[in-house]
Amino acid sequence: MFCRNSTEDGMASDQSDVLRGTLDLLILKTLTLEPMHGWGISARIQQYSGGLLDVNQGSLYPALQRLEQRGWVASDWRTTENNRRAKYYALTASGRRAVGAEAANWRRYVDAVQLILDIA
Amino acid sequence: MTRLEGLLARLRALRSPSAADRELNDEIRFHIELETEKNLRLGMSAAEARRLAVAHFGGVERVREEHRDVRRLQWLEDFAADARFALRTLRRTPALAGAAIITLALGVGANVAIFSAVNAVVLQPLPFPSPDRLMVITEENPEKKWHLQVAAPANLLDWRANVADFQDVTGYVDGVGRSTLTGRGDPQLLASGYVMGNFFSTLGVHAALGRALNDNDTWKSGTHVVVLSDRGWREHFGADPSIVGKSATIDGKTFEVVGVMPPTFAYPRAEVDCWQSIEWDKSKTADISFRRAHYMRAVARLKPGVTQAHAAAELEAVVDRLKREYPATNKVMGAAMMPLHDFLVGDTRLPLLILLTSVAFLLLIACANVGNLLLVQAAGRERETALRLALGAGRARLVRQGLTESLMLSLVGGMFGLALGWAGTRALVRLQPADMLRVHDFGVDRSVLVYLVAITVLSALIFGIAPALWTRHRSPADSLKEGGRGAAHGGRAKRWGDLLVVGEVALALLMTVGAGLLVRSFLQIRRVDAGFDPHGVLAAAVETNARYDTSTKVDAFMTALEARARAIPGVTAAALASNVPFKGTGYTTDFIAYGRPEGGYGTEIGNRTVTPSYFATMKVPVLSGRTFGPEDREGSTPVLVINEALATSYFKGQDPVGQRITFGKVPTPKSTWYTIIGVVGNEHVQALDVAPRIEAFHPEAQDPSGYMVVLLRTNGDPSTLTPALRGVLRDLDPTLTLLDVNTMERLRDESLARARFLTMLLLAFAVIGVLLSVVGVYGVLAHVSRHRTREMGIRIALGAQASQVRWLVVRQGLALTAGGLVIGGALALFGTRVMTKLLFNVAPNDPATLVGVIVLLSATSVLAAWIPALKASRADPSVALRAD
Repeated sequence: MFCRNSTEDGMASDQSDVLRGTLDLLILKTLTLEPMHGWGISARIQQYSGGLLDVNQGSLYPALQRLEQRGWVASDWRTTENNRRAKYYALTASGRRAVGAEAANWRRYVDAVQLILDIA
Repeated sequence: MTRLEGLLARLRALRSPSAADRELNDEIRFHIELETEKNLRLGMSAAEARRLAVAHFGGVERVREEHRDVRRLQWLEDFAADARFALRTLRRTPALAGAAIITLALGVGANVAIFSAVNAVVLQPLPFPSPDRLMVITEENPEKKWHLQVAAPANLLDWRANVADFQDVTGYVDGVGRSTLTGRGDPQLLASGYVMGNFFSTLGVHAALGRALNDNDTWKSGTHVVVLSDRGWREHFGADPSIVGKSATIDGKTFEVVGVMPPTFAYPRAEVDCWQSIEWDKSKTADISFRRAHYMRAVARLKPGVTQAHAAAELEAVVDRLKREYPATNKVMGAAMMPLHDFLVGDTRLPLLILLTSVAFLLLIACANVGNLLLVQAAGRERETALRLALGAGRARLVRQGLTESLMLSLVGGMFGLALGWAGTRALVRLQPADMLRVHDFGVDRSVLVYLVAITVLSALIFGIAPALWTRHRSPADSLKEGGRGAAHGGRAKRWGDLLVVGEVALALLMTVGAGLLVRSFLQIRRVDAGFDPHGVLAAAVETNARYDTSTKVDAFMTALEARARAIPGVTAAALASNVPFKGTGYTTDFIAYGRPEGGYGTEIGNRTVTPSYFATMKVPVLSGRTFGPEDREGSTPVLVINEALATSYFKGQDPVGQRITFGKVPTPKSTWYTIIGVVGNEHVQALDVAPRIEAFHPEAQDPSGYMVVLLRTNGDPSTLTPALRGVLRDLDPTLTLLDVNTMERLRDESLARARFLTMLLLAFAVIGVLLSVVGVYGVLAHVSRHRTREMGIRIALGAQASQVRWLVVRQGLALTAGGLVIGGALALFGTRVMTKLLFNVAPNDPATLVGVIVLLSATSVLAAWIPALKASRADPSVALRAD
């Protein structure tokens, strides 16, 4: 299922939707760098993908909630540099293990799609 | 660890849902602030930056909603809210809710009642320690067609001594005998069990007062001992706490009461008052009769850890050895072993399973009906649902909401069902024919409650899933466009509704065919000619006691009794018989006619002792020769009267009158030869649906029996003769009492009671099933025709006849019914095979029953369609066109 982008920011046309399963992987991967809050995660993904991937916020928070319930991320409230309270998410040990497995899955998937595209 | 964290998160969320919501709000607010700042940095105006930040975030409510859904235990919170909402909705539509609840209560109630019986009889273990180690050993004899037969005492004792896998083997006489307790006011009747001394220890039960019987008690000694049941102790001995050691006079003999059993132990029959020892004579165990007479129900307890198969193999080896050692009695005598529980459940399993299937169908029909009601309601609520979807409610949540509503309905229905079921259980206990169910008292216990909850939840899923899912598939835009009425009479809802009706008609057909077959079978049994005339005959048993110690004394007493009874005013005929039809079968033996070659013997001839007037009293026709007369006395030529079955089978093509037979397979020089003096008609001795067996009658004067049934024929109600007969007996001997007082008609009816009970129950369920399915057909048609009012109005405006419009609706009803009938009919052709064993002279695929049921259901569906059809045909074009 695809998460719909907001079309109001006028930049949606050249941005790709993020698959839900992929979103989990992206979040986990982003969190391997350092603990972050939700906005930080979405900004980081957009930044790293050169602005190609826009994370739908409506999917981000439920995804974080899901990951937390699986025990892959843990959260706590901290104060930002600007002295504001924000909920920070961090990878747990099992989350760290999961990144590797998820990434491998993703690569297999991409390779498979690539194979098919090459034939055609 | 991680799982625990997840669980803790969910629990936290559950404990304070508002706190979790608040946290999410903070998080969203923080996010939007940062996004706004970013937009500001990009050079937007403050208002624009804020607007775009919110827009980019997407639907805040949807995120909240999804976020909440992810918190898994949220369902509990939702459930409470949904339940409240559901109850409110149901209160708004009391007619629909009431109809659904009544329907469900009927289905659930029938299930609870029948399941209670199944639970008590089949599922619950026997109330003995380690009941799975208790086995019944039966004797099997292919030559005599014996199956599950009681054992000969000598064989039983040999199994006990030689099968190492058995911890112990005991035996008892099946059922209870009647004894007379005297010396405590008026003579009282006791129901006595006759058991071996190790009966109690093998079953593993202990006395509540005093002691149970022990091994020594098996054998005859100078004294007699008796153990009382709790019931016997209370009813006949005033619950005397110091009864142990006291004496009681039973059948003229003095017994010492050695113990009282706890109320939980009443075996082999619930009505047992006391247990007496079988009192075998140790000096006679080598007699051939000890191995020839079969009357002990043998029960073995396996040693711990021993498998049934291993014990069976050991038993087999011992049985084979006995075959070789005692060819005269054991040449073809096999033995079989099965768990005691299976044996006791025996032939009640099939009727119970059929009943359970029937009530399961009933519940499914009820579910189909309720499902249809809910579909109609869901269709009516289309606009509301669409609105809620448009306002951002999650579809999953709406499905859950729908299911919760179903569950609420089901729970309320289930509660009423439990009440109905409880009453039904009481009725079953009270109305069940004697000995139909092994357990005489049962009720709603924990297993039944678990079953109740299971079927209630399952029902909710069955009837709730279709309407709930259907909601899910509708697009709000379509629904709003159609204005909330379009879908109600077209598309998926209608197809589902039709399918439910087809299904319930099919089930109703199956139930009705099942019940119909039993009804046909029952009528067939009733049509069987018993071979005697049971109307106006009193049958009361009398047994002599220890004072009558010679056959001369017994004969003198019986002759006097018959003469005095015949003189009772109103009695038109009187006779005595050692056994009467439907009540005890007497004993069977082998026999051989004089002059037959070796091996030309017959088996399983029933023996009865009767007075000369028996045949006239019972109106059994004499076919040839003569019956007994005064010349057939003790000391004169031994004579027999045989029945037609014996004459036509064993004496095929010969005249049996004048021939002589003796009992046993091989005549010996000491054999007594009996001359056949006459042939009489067959009587159905065992049951109406069991073919008459071959029988030989002995004259009472030549073969006196201490147990005789007095038969009195009168023109009026035979039971009015009882007091006079009691008086006669009291005059003759005040220590004797009438044991069983019955009328022959009642005995005949009792022999049919089981078949009648099962037939009536199945019929009742089938009637409810048919009524519910008729209501289902009616409901769908009424709904459809209401929504086609406009169409009907147009048709009438264009000149259609009322009859044509009616036919339109009726045709639709018939189409639905026909679908169900075809499916149900096909299933019935195969499904009813399981009933074969319960049917008498009716094939399970009996075409008359099937056709009859199909015609009946078609007719009822036309009736069901008639009211909606009538309404449709009366549609006023001008009103109809303005409708909606």
